[in-house]
Parts: sequence; C-alpha cells; structure tokens
Amino acid sequence: MTQSLTILGLESSCDDTAAAVVRQSDGDMAKVLSSVVFGQTELHSAYGGVVPEIAARAHAEKLDLCVIEALKEAGVSFQDLDAVAVTAGPGLIGGVMSGVMCAKGIAAATGLPLVGVNHLAGHALTPRLTDDIPFPYLMLLVSGGHCQYLIVRGPEDFTRLGGTIDDAPGEAFDKTARLLGLPQPGGPSVQAEAETGDPKRFRFPRPLLDRPDCNLSFSGLKTALMRMRDQIVAEKGGLTRQDRADLCAGFQAAVVDTLAEKTRRALTIYMDESPAIPTVAVAGGVAANTAIRAALQTVCADAGAAFTAPPLRLCTDNAAMIAYAGLERFKSGARDGLDLTARPRWPLDQTSPALIGSGKKGAKA
Amino acid sequence: MTAEPLVLGFDTSAAHCAAALLRGDTLVAEALEPMTRGQAERLMPLLEEVLAVGGATWDDLDAIGVGVGPGNFTGIRIAVSAARGLALGLEIPVVGVDGFEARAETGSLAAIPAPRDQVYAALPGEAPRLMPRQEAEDAARGAGLTFAPEASPAGLAAMIARIATQRKDDVTAPPAPLYLRAADAAPSRDVPPALIDG
Repeated sequence: MTQSLTILGLESSCDDTAAAVVRQSDGDMAKVLSSVVFGQTELHSAYGGVVPEIAARAHAEKLDLCVIEALKEAGVSFQDLDAVAVTAGPGLIGGVMSGVMCAKGIAAATGLPLVGVNHLAGHALTPRLTDDIPFPYLMLLVSGGHCQYLIVRGPEDFTRLGGTIDDAPGEAFDKTARLLGLPQPGGPSVQAEAETGDPKRFRFPRPLLDRPDCNLSFSGLKTALMRMRDQIVAEKGGLTRQDRADLCAGFQAAVVDTLAEKTRRALTIYMDESPAIPTVAVAGGVAANTAIRAALQTVCADAGAAFTAPPLRLCTDNAAMIAYAGLERFKSGARDGLDLTARPRWPLDQTSPALIGSGKKGAKA
Repeated sequence: MTAEPLVLGFDTSAAHCAAALLRGDTLVAEALEPMTRGQAERLMPLLEEVLAVGGATWDDLDAIGVGVGPGNFTGIRIAVSAARGLALGLEIPVVGVDGFEARAETGSLAAIPAPRDQVYAALPGEAPRLMPRQEAEDAARGAGLTFAPEASPAGLAAMIARIATQRKDDVTAPPAPLYLRAADAAPSRDVPPALIDG
C-alpha cells in the first residue's frame, strides 16, 4: 500500500494571495493538484510599489476565498488533507500575519496539523518539486524583494554565499520602468524596450565586482539611471524613443553582467564541494528575464553545471512551493502550535553573518 | 427540545485579546487579557482555553462573532482572518460585529479612540466615520449623550457573542474589517519624462 501526503499551502507575504494543494505519494515526485494566485498589481499601480497596508487589507479578505478555490480545483476537501502549511515569514508582516491567522483558524477548526514555512525555503525547494533535482544544488533567488545565492543541502539546510546589500534586481527593474514611464511590473516592460536598444551607448556601474565575494548591490544602478535620464532631459527637454530603449538596454546589461559574474563566483565555491550532479537553479520573478537567463546558462555551461529554472508560475510567488516546503517539514516531524509567530525577518541561513545593510535587527532574509 | 446555541465571540481591535463563550443568554466563560502586542500568538490559545473552561470544543460551536473594528488595523485583521479560517473549517456562520454595536449603551455616544486625537464615532443619524475628538464630544453634549471613548473593553467579547447569537441565521457574507480610514499611501512622485518623438 502506498502512503500519500496531501498538504494545503497558503502564501501572503507580498502582493500575491495564494493557496495550493500538493500531494506526494510514496516514492513518487510531489504533484501540484492546484495552485491559485490572486494578484494585486492593480491595487498598487498608482503608488509605484507595493503598499504594505493595502496588500494586507486585500490578503485578509481574499485568503479564504483562495483556499476554497484551491480545494475545489484540486478536487479535495479538508478530510483529504494531512496538514496546513503557511508562509510565516519573511515578508510584509501585515500580510504574513493574515495568512498565519487564517491557517490557524483552519487548523483549529479541522484538527489538521499546522506547519509554518519560510517563504524563501519555498522558493529554494521549488526545483525539487518541479524537477526533483538532487541535493546539494546552487540556488539563485532573484525577485522583486530578494536576491541571494544559497547552497541547498537539504529541506532545512541552507548556506547563504551572498546576496544584495540593498535593493533586489526586480525592484530596480520596477524603478527603471517608473523613471522612464513604462508600465509596471517593470521586468517585462524594460526587457521589451531593451530589445530595441543599444546596450553600449550608456555605461552603467557594475557595483561590487571589485570584491571577491558573492554580494551584490543595485541601488547605485537606479541612481545612475536616473542621473543619465535627467541629463538627457536637461539637454533635449525630453527623451526620444531610442534614448529610452538605450537606457533600458544599458540598465539590463549592467544587471546581466553583475548577476553573471557573481554567479560565476558562487559556482566556484559550490563546485569546490564536488557535488555529484552539479546543478544551478534559479527562482523568483527576475528569472523570467531572457537576457539574464541566457547569461546564467552560459556561466553554468562554462563551469560544467546543469541549469534549471522552474516554470514561471512556480518561479514567482505561489502557494504550491509553500505546500511543498511544508510537506518536507511535515515529513521530518515538524509541527507548529497555534501560537506560531509571523516574522517579518527570517533568514534561511541562521549561521552566516548578516549582510551589510541589514540594519540593527539583523538579517532580513 | 433543542439545546440553546453555543456562540464564541472574540475581539483584538485594540490593546487586548478578548473572548467570551455564550450559551443562549448565559455567559459560560470569558477572558480579557490586556496586551499591546502579541495578539496574533495569543488569540487562538486563548480561544481554546475559553472553550475548555466551558467544557466545549470547536465542533460544539453553533456560530462565531468577531469584532471587525474600527481600531488598530493589524489587530482587526488578526481576529477577522482567524474567524474566516475558522468559518471555512467549521462550516458555521461567522458574524462580523462592529465596535459601535458592541459598545452601544443607552444614553451614550459609542466612540473608539483613533490616532492623532481623533475618534471613530457614529453621530446620531450619521454613518460612522473618523473625526476630531472634540467634534464627537461636542456632538455628544449637544445630543445629551455621555462620551467615553476610552471605555474599558470589559464585556466587549460577550456583547459580540450576544449580537452574533441574534444574527447567526442572517449571515450572507464573511466578516470584513471596518477600517474607516484609508491606508496611508502617497501616489508615486516619479513623473516620467516626456517622449519628444511621441
């Protein structure tokens, strides 16, 4: 007889409200039975970024509806579930708290065990869910809120090699789009503009490449782009379409070069450990950028490592990854009480020193 | 004869965790813990304690009443999110009760403290809104009502449970927070440059 585990996952740490059901039968790969995501992009579009209070308000009134939809799509009821997994951090605390409270309500009402999940562990374990890649693998997590290199050794065993000391690349793409009057989210719109631009016309900085570590910085790049834009506007009274495309191409080239070089360094550290099947995985919305992806593929090929990127819907924020990470924790015996804490800061790697810029409360993520 | 309905009421809209268990008109158990933070961790264990005192379990409940505010935004969401999760799992009605109903008292103007010397209040014949404290105080005096926005939350959860008992058969939608104040957010200051070649 095969034993199977079915987990409901909830996610609400940023601007996507999500619920999903994942099932794993003995010996088989885990399967996503449903993955429902209610986005909030239009709620935040006027503000030039995610407004935490607006996000929290939307999560509080959508999460339960999202759960209903996910159960329906999966064709399961609470009786078919083995546990409820929920993102307990890191993230925008109002949203995380709504998710945690909703999950606690479900757990108390149904008697199902509750499992708190680190959002970053969700992203970092996704390549196991989608491609069953073996430990240890090198993970580049690159999104609107995060940017870090991790060696993933087990479901709860991560080593952070480095990460951004200020902004995440996705945030820089969004800011670039705002500065140039392009639509949000900035990733796809800046990429589309960059395709018709000359990446060599403007030379933007590649910060921290002079340092041997795996840390990154993107805030200076945003400033450099704004200065260049202002200089052109001061000269001409505005931008031409070509200026805009060239600015995008120059910006994107700087991000690509930086990520490629730092990935090369992270790979050197990872390959020194002689992994049996060297693999680099990428997750987060920025992984959808084709120029970045192509550069990473080249770096991996040069180093003799395989490259894998989960499909976009499982790369960006979703609850299937939370259900899956919860399933792994559940299998290892983890259970949380109804006093589970929602945490704004929760670094995956608790032992590596906090990155510069983390503030006095320590590492955020 | 059918047993009288068992209803759990709770509220975390200010610096407290409050819960009460009611069977019909009888208050079975009650708890009120003042706290400025930690409601998200404390609420569910507190509810289980109140149920245990009443010798009941979640499955015995016929309805839930939850305080929807106005008040502390995060606090309101803690209670409402928990209530909505409970409603999903228990398949029982959850009644959202606003802070004015829960504090209604003959001869007084129900008002709830808000930041920056303001209160949330419903002046006679008006919809509830955020207003300067002085405005509410003047209106109360003019209408011959007492005005005590800092009233203790004692009895709040029991009143929420009482109202939920009355309304449990009329629930059509899940409870929603009553904020009465927009999120603090300013539109983006980035003004994109003009395209000179259109």
